[in-house]
Amino acid sequence: MNQEINMPAPGKILAEAIDRGQSALSEFQSKRLLACYGVPVTREALAKDAGQAMEIARQIGGPVALKACSALLMHKSERSLVMLNLKSDDEVRRAYEKLASAAGFELEGVLVQQMIDGHRELMAGLMRDSQFGPCVMLGLGGVLTEAMDDAVMRMAPVNEDDVADMMAGLRCKDILGAFRGQSPAEVLTLVAVLTGLGRIGLEHESVAEIDINPLIISPKGRIVAVDALVVLKKGKNHAVTH
Amino acid sequence: MLSRIDQSPLYRVANPRSIVFFGGSNKIESMGTNILMSLLGMGFDGPVFPVHPKEKNVQGLTAYASVLDLPVTPDLAVMVLPTASVNPTMEQCGRMGIRQVVVVSGGFKEVGGEGPTLEYEMVEICRRHGITLIGPNCLGVANPHHKLNTTFLPFEGRPGFIGLASQSGSFITQMFNYMARHHLGFSTAFSVGNSACIDIVDCLDYLGACPHTRVITLYIEGLTRGRAFVETARAISPQKPIVALYVGGSQAGRKAGSSHTGAMAGPDRLYDGIFRQAGIIRASNLTELFDFAWVLGTQPKPRSRGVVLQTHSGGPGAVAADALGRTGLTLPDLSVQTLEALQPYVPHTGSVANPVDLTFSKNPMDFFSAIPKVLLEDKNVAMLMIYFLIPLPVIRRALSQMGVAPEHLESEADQMVAEYARAFSQLHLQARKPMVGYTWRGLEERFAQLLMENGVPLFPEPERAARALAALVRYHEWRKGINADSVTR
Repeated sequence: MNQEINMPAPGKILAEAIDRGQSALSEFQSKRLLACYGVPVTREALAKDAGQAMEIARQIGGPVALKACSALLMHKSERSLVMLNLKSDDEVRRAYEKLASAAGFELEGVLVQQMIDGHRELMAGLMRDSQFGPCVMLGLGGVLTEAMDDAVMRMAPVNEDDVADMMAGLRCKDILGAFRGQSPAEVLTLVAVLTGLGRIGLEHESVAEIDINPLIISPKGRIVAVDALVVLKKGKNHAVTH
Repeated sequence: MLSRIDQSPLYRVANPRSIVFFGGSNKIESMGTNILMSLLGMGFDGPVFPVHPKEKNVQGLTAYASVLDLPVTPDLAVMVLPTASVNPTMEQCGRMGIRQVVVVSGGFKEVGGEGPTLEYEMVEICRRHGITLIGPNCLGVANPHHKLNTTFLPFEGRPGFIGLASQSGSFITQMFNYMARHHLGFSTAFSVGNSACIDIVDCLDYLGACPHTRVITLYIEGLTRGRAFVETARAISPQKPIVALYVGGSQAGRKAGSSHTGAMAGPDRLYDGIFRQAGIIRASNLTELFDFAWVLGTQPKPRSRGVVLQTHSGGPGAVAADALGRTGLTLPDLSVQTLEALQPYVPHTGSVANPVDLTFSKNPMDFFSAIPKVLLEDKNVAMLMIYFLIPLPVIRRALSQMGVAPEHLESEADQMVAEYARAFSQLHLQARKPMVGYTWRGLEERFAQLLMENGVPLFPEPERAARALAALVRYHEWRKGINADSVTR
């Protein structure tokens, strides 16, 4: 819960993961890295037992999500390792036990996470191109990401004008404005997310790709990274499990 | 960005004073002979020295057995030689002091086997002697302002304002006819081939500084210096519009990555973004590449997105209005002053809404001069798009009814059409707002030819006219955006 106070340097997060032979950061580690670069992330903490999970849930207040957390898990929802909208101590405890046993291998812990209200889902990401170097992406997110294939890219670094042009280039651009009684997305936060992604790409060669999906726009227009994945460059000692 | 064109390593490639030619002979079936004939056929101003191992005379010129026998050191060497002869000849050229070479020959990096090694050796020879190399596996350069053409087909048309740097040589040489038919022309066109030394970024840099080039076109299948490309384009595009056609992978290039981002990052999507960052206008096909260049190279800056559409037929106006709408351009209402000023010209059947549908003109000449002049003066109007239907048979028929003798019909009709074209061209010359035309009649007809000869962009369909105007607007909006930034930052 004390991320803000005890924020490790981004280089340290990456170095530790590389030392452990990880091929990717866990969701928890990914978000801590992104937060260092100004990307707003969900309030969350890792629980090692059911009691801790309930304690964290109480601190967060309101409904929470529990997610199995491990650097070996790249696509959690497809493997039913996510449980949403847990309201009571009892629900949290049972969810913890289920996830801890279902994963089938050693977890970093179970991530207890604030639920974010909002139906507008974006995705943002980073990839590397052999000619253009680090490039950032913004698109429609959520489960329809690849089906709708609505995304735009720019070479890093990007500035405010690039981000405005990226937003205007999406087919789904209307959801970024005032939409069905909801406030427009906070443009400056979106700028922070995309410039942050670009900076990670420019400053950390060890990062190969990043997904933030979903990046939820709340009814009030706030933007929060709800899930994230940082993929590391393939090194000598990276883990082979997938 | 280059401040002067003669600072470019390409300056003497595009503007050589003398040329040594390898691979030309008196055998018409050889590629080299054809290229030499293109070069001579264009009337290149300086001396051309053919080098041939046996012939004493090639295409009417004294031939030399070796480059080392030449009386002077030429500015440029053009090689259309068997692959194996290229590097030894390059070495001789280097020793002779020749500093610019076009290698048309193929068989290098683009093929397997020894090709890449030979190309590597070629680059080493060039580096050692300070040679600027175009190619190999290219068609070199066409600079009609300098009567230079090292490509396969004979040059047609006239020197123009469209610069081209192309990863396909075909789009230089095989476009001569297309350009000529539209009264367009290249300023300078480069075929970069394998880009062993000079690549598309160097050509872009040259064209940015080239005074004959008003608009730059690029044909790209893939870049190797991505970041340098963006930096160079970004420095040029505020001063000179750049239009690019990229083909190279809509789906095929997608990598199977571990992330959604990796999976969705196809090269087409990436180039789309890169072009926007660099202020480059993207064309979706070759026709559009030259459509956009035509309008960007001839038309002034539009002040807004508002287009007035002038027609004398309902359907042609409606489809053009639809096409304009799809591109994001608007059809503003005309001002009260305009409506008043139009009164004397519009028959009771006509409509003065936008599109302005005149149905017919009381005086045919008004359609080409007085009416568009009034429309262009409207403060709501930033651009004019006009429909042309000038059928010669109808004009002849009318003249005949008016009593013109059959033997004079042809010339009188021609004269009438020429007057219409002259009137509209005059207005186009004076207007400070963009104007384009469209028609479904043949562009080879006299009226169309006269308009195009006078620099009026004329399209065989309204969709192309609308997209070209939209490209013009997009470029100037981008330019305005960066200028606004430079003030606030």
